[in-house]
Amino acid sequence: MYISNDRRRIEAVFLLFIIFLLFCIARLFFIQLFRSSYLYGIAQKQHNLFVELEPRRGTIYDTNLKPQAVNMSVDSLYASASEIPAKAKEGIIKSLLPILNVERAYLEDRLYRKKSFIWLARKLSPGQSEAIKKLNIKGLGFIKESKRCYPNGYLAAHVFGFAGLDNKGLEGVELYYDGYLKGQPGWAMFLRDARQKRLNLWEKMVLPKDGYDLVLTIDEVIQYIAERELDKAYKKYHANSASIVVMDPNTGAILALANRPTYDLNERINLSVNQLRNHAVCDLFEPGSVFKIVTLSAAFQEKRVSEEDRFFCENGAYRVASHVLHDHRAHGWLTFREVIEQSSNIGTTKVAQILGENVIYKYMKLLGFGNKLGIDLPGEAVGIVKEPRFWSKISIAAIPIGQEVGVTTLQLASAISAIANGGDLMRPYVVKEVRDKYEQTIKSFPPLLIRNSISADTAARARKVLTGVVENGTGKLAQVTGFSAAGKTGTAQKLEPNGAYSHNKFVATFIGFAPAQDPVIAIAVCVDEPHPYYYGGVVAAPVFKNVASDTLRYLQAIQPLSARLSGSDEIKKNN
Amino acid sequence: MRISKFLTLVLLLTSFSLLYVWQQTEIFRMAYVGQSNVTNFQDLLDKNTALRYNIGRSASLVRIGSRVDQDLAFQMPQGYRLVKLAPKGENLRLTRQVPRKESIAFRIFGIKRQAEAKTINP
Repeated sequence: MYISNDRRRIEAVFLLFIIFLLFCIARLFFIQLFRSSYLYGIAQKQHNLFVELEPRRGTIYDTNLKPQAVNMSVDSLYASASEIPAKAKEGIIKSLLPILNVERAYLEDRLYRKKSFIWLARKLSPGQSEAIKKLNIKGLGFIKESKRCYPNGYLAAHVFGFAGLDNKGLEGVELYYDGYLKGQPGWAMFLRDARQKRLNLWEKMVLPKDGYDLVLTIDEVIQYIAERELDKAYKKYHANSASIVVMDPNTGAILALANRPTYDLNERINLSVNQLRNHAVCDLFEPGSVFKIVTLSAAFQEKRVSEEDRFFCENGAYRVASHVLHDHRAHGWLTFREVIEQSSNIGTTKVAQILGENVIYKYMKLLGFGNKLGIDLPGEAVGIVKEPRFWSKISIAAIPIGQEVGVTTLQLASAISAIANGGDLMRPYVVKEVRDKYEQTIKSFPPLLIRNSISADTAARARKVLTGVVENGTGKLAQVTGFSAAGKTGTAQKLEPNGAYSHNKFVATFIGFAPAQDPVIAIAVCVDEPHPYYYGGVVAAPVFKNVASDTLRYLQAIQPLSARLSGSDEIKKNN
Repeated sequence: MRISKFLTLVLLLTSFSLLYVWQQTEIFRMAYVGQSNVTNFQDLLDKNTALRYNIGRSASLVRIGSRVDQDLAFQMPQGYRLVKLAPKGENLRLTRQVPRKESIAFRIFGIKRQAEAKTINP
């Protein structure tokens, strides 16, 4: 059979096409079966952009729903360092230096890296952002980020704490309630255009879950009053540190808590440990004479000593084992009431000797010393209270007058609150409610009774004696104009590194409540190493007086005190 | 006839293709418009938050307190220095004294008042 050349050529070309077609089909099969997922991924990357959606961090409100910590959308500055010509970099550094207030070396290091994206400054202030935008520098860009801002600056800095650059709580309530505040991030798969710019069209989206808001028991006004007065004392007496706790004695709600030194929550640069420390909650100290409230409560509760029982105070010197105990002023015969009013160490020791070690220990524990009270703030100290089997022969003369024990200002505030409210030791707390963004309550924290420490009758008798301290005794400077007040002063010698008590380092304290008969506020003030005066009745008592006076006037202005008291009675019934 | 059918089919396919492309471009165009609106809206929200924050900051006791202390040497008045204002005089009026009708029963059982003071209701 003859086959023409043309036909052969045609068939050859046809065969070639068929082979090519088969190759294409095979390639397509290969791509579809083996390379599809890889290529799909590349295509997805080109067309889609995965973005994590940041949740809104919850707002922190004070008890009157005034915002104390809010989120602001601010610009963060980045550079596409590889896109900036080398010649232009020097000019950019010169222009940015005065605006960003950073080291020249820092900017040089960042801009001379061969990176397409590098942060230059995170979370700029609006002023800085505007100034840089005006420069219109090519190669610099801005990304919106959420920044935590505190409208009241340093107010209640140790209570609110702060959140870091990544909006994670680092201190205070921000840390303790980070789980509630932070929310849950979401994500979205946005479409991109040909220029790789993000479009507001998404293929998939999981919305972020915003953080919950917190309502605190802190009252902005009372907090300000407490901070103002504490600051005055801290500066006037050149103290090492100082702290104050203002508490609602009936519920345990903290109305104000302040420390010195402190810091501005918006400007946290070069902070020392002393500034950051929440002294009222974390620091232990020997309380001195304020601790006599333990002996006072124990004596009345055990019915071993009454107010009018008389004790000989040995004219100022009393030997216990190998130790000679002194009073700051020599006293002869004093009634127990006068012992507390005049803060006689010898008289208190004699009462403690009648009661015995075990009773004193029992009431220390009952009033909340040597245990965590469970406040919702990080770093709460337990305190130091030795069991009687570890007491030395002189412990019975030291512990009742506030030596050989370690307490916090918060524990003192809780103990005096227990005496003020009729004997109930309440759990101190700073957050009363967790709410969502629609203002619906998610969780509330009602007042919590830890235990009944002393009977109502004992508390009433102790209140009367403590009123005498302010009216006739060492706490006269704590008298509140227009209201009765009760309290106890304390001046404790600090321990030197060699274990001996210092003669020039003291801790001045005052704990008290007002009005004396129906207390609405309980206050504990502690000033560490005041100079030149160091007596609790001189340094700390005036702080109590001023805070109590202004706070009571303020509370009376917003709500009659009688109404507040009837409210707290209901809480007690519920407990 | 076959050509006309073919041309109609081509025309139809072309129109549908164009419609599809137009629809796609329109979606993107609207996305750009929406995006710019969202950006503007977000900017306004941010400005609003910033304003509220600045108002809160300016009105904060810390700021007022420091300004009062440092700049004006202002001293807070004590309670006894404050004058409490009485309600406005125009709201004060004498209560109308309605003469009581004395019935026989009232005369027998009622307790006659010795004196009656005119009261002022604010």
